[in-house]
Amino acid sequence: MPFSRRHLFATLASGAIASHVARAADDTIAIPGKRPMILHNDRPEDLETPVRYFDSWLTPIEVFFVRQHLPRPQAINPESYRLTVNGMVSKPLQLTLDELKKLPQFTVPATIECTGNGRGFYSPKVPGIQWMRGAIGNAEWRGPRVSDVLKMAGVNSSAAFIETDGADVGLASTPDFVRSLPMNKAMHPATILALSMNGRTPDIHGFPVRLIVPGWDGTSSVKWVVRVSATAQASTGFFMNPGYRYPKYALPPGTPARPAELEVIEGMPVKSCITAPEDQQKIALEPATIRGFAWAGENAIERVEVSTDGGSRWRDAQLSPKKLPFAWRLWSLEWTPADPGYYTLLSRATDTAGRVQPIVSPWNPSGYLWNAIDRVGITVEKSA
Amino acid sequence: MRTAISIAGVTVLALVALAADEATVERGRKEAGLACTPCHSLRLVQSQRLSRAAWNKELDKMAGWGTKMTDRDALLEYLVANYGDDKPPSPPAMSKNGFTPGKQP
Repeated sequence: MPFSRRHLFATLASGAIASHVARAADDTIAIPGKRPMILHNDRPEDLETPVRYFDSWLTPIEVFFVRQHLPRPQAINPESYRLTVNGMVSKPLQLTLDELKKLPQFTVPATIECTGNGRGFYSPKVPGIQWMRGAIGNAEWRGPRVSDVLKMAGVNSSAAFIETDGADVGLASTPDFVRSLPMNKAMHPATILALSMNGRTPDIHGFPVRLIVPGWDGTSSVKWVVRVSATAQASTGFFMNPGYRYPKYALPPGTPARPAELEVIEGMPVKSCITAPEDQQKIALEPATIRGFAWAGENAIERVEVSTDGGSRWRDAQLSPKKLPFAWRLWSLEWTPADPGYYTLLSRATDTAGRVQPIVSPWNPSGYLWNAIDRVGITVEKSA
Repeated sequence: MRTAISIAGVTVLALVALAADEATVERGRKEAGLACTPCHSLRLVQSQRLSRAAWNKELDKMAGWGTKMTDRDALLEYLVANYGDDKPPSPPAMSKNGFTPGKQP
C-alpha cells in the first residue's frame, strides 16, 4: 500500500508541478528598464542575468542582476534626500545630495556578486534564491569616499564599525536591512558612496546613494543609503547574524549550521564562469570561441585555464587587459574541436594571491560563495 | 477470495488516504496564496526544492517575521507535495523585455 499510494501521489504532484511551470511561462512580466532576465521573483525583484549578456567588461544596467530582500522604497526625491551621519562622531551631519556631489569624486570599477550566486549548484538543495551563474555584474561606480564623509563628521578613533541603513523597510515583522562594516574597510579609499553606476542612477540598483564595498559580497553594498552611523560594535540584526554568515569549519553536506561557528563573510573567493557556449548548447564542427569572466574579490585575476576534455589537459585563456583588484577580467580561448560529439568544458581561475578555484565548492547551509571550477556540456555537430 | 477482498480493502484505504491528502494539499495551496503573497510573489516559493524539515524551518522563520498562517499543517503538505527535494527543479521563467534604448525608468 505505501508504494501505490506514494506512486499515485507522486503522479498527482507532478501534474501540479507541470501546471505551475506552464503558468510561470505564461504570465511573465516586464521589469521597467530591464531586458529579458531570469525571473526568480518579481515582488520584490530578484533578477538574474542570462550569461549571453556577459560579453562586455562593463555590464549594461539594463541586464545587471537585481537582488532585493525587501520591497524597493518609493523613488527618493533628490531635493529632499538627506544622508544622516551619526553615532560616534563629533559633528553629526545631514548631507544633501549636492553636498555629497561637492566632495571629491572617485570612480571605482568593481564587480558586485550576490553572496548566494551559484546556490542552485549546491546539493543537497538549500533555501534561498536558486541563482546559477548570473547574480553578478561589473560596473563603474562613482561618488565620494566614505572616509571623506566620516572625517567631515569627526569620526571617533575608537569607532570600530560603520552601520549602514537603506531606505527600504521590512513588511510585517521582517527585519530592516542594516549592515555593519569594519572601520578599516569603510576607510579604504575604494569604499565609496556611489552616486552613479556606469554614469546613470537607476533606483532599482540603490540610487541616489549606494554604498560600494569593493571585493566583498554584494550584500555589503547597501542600497538607498539614508544613514551611516559610527559604532563600537557590529549590528546584531538578522542581516548580520545569522544572515550572511559562513561556517568557520566545513560541514558535512546537508547538516545544520552550528550558530557559534558562523562567521561574517569578508571578501570573496576566486571564481570563473563559462558564458559561451552555454551549457547543453549545440555548436557546429568549426572554430569556436569559449569565453567567460573571472574575478577574485579584493585580488586581481592572474590566470584562467580552460579544458575541453573534462580536465585532462588545460590551456591558458586570453585575459582582458585591465588587471585590477575588485573588478573581473573577461577571458576567451579559441578552440577548434577535432571531432563531433559531446564535450565537457571547464574553466579554472587563479588570482594574484595564488588562490586557485577548487574542484568542489564547500557545501554550506545557506548556499553562499559557490566557486567550484565551472563546467558546461556541449554537443559539437557535423556541419551540414 | 480473501486476497481479492484484501486488495479491495487496501485500495479503498489508499483512495481515502489519497483523497485526504489531495484535500489537504489543496487547502495548503490556498493558504500559500493568502499567507505568503503579502510579502513576496509565489515564484520565490515555487523555485525551491526542500525537504519536509527544511520547509518546516522556513515556515518557522516566516512565522517569526509576522506571517499569519491559519492552516500551517496544510501549507506544509502543499509545499512538500509540490516543491519537495525529490522533485526536479522547474525551468526558470524569463521576464519580458522592459527596456527601451535611450530611456531610463
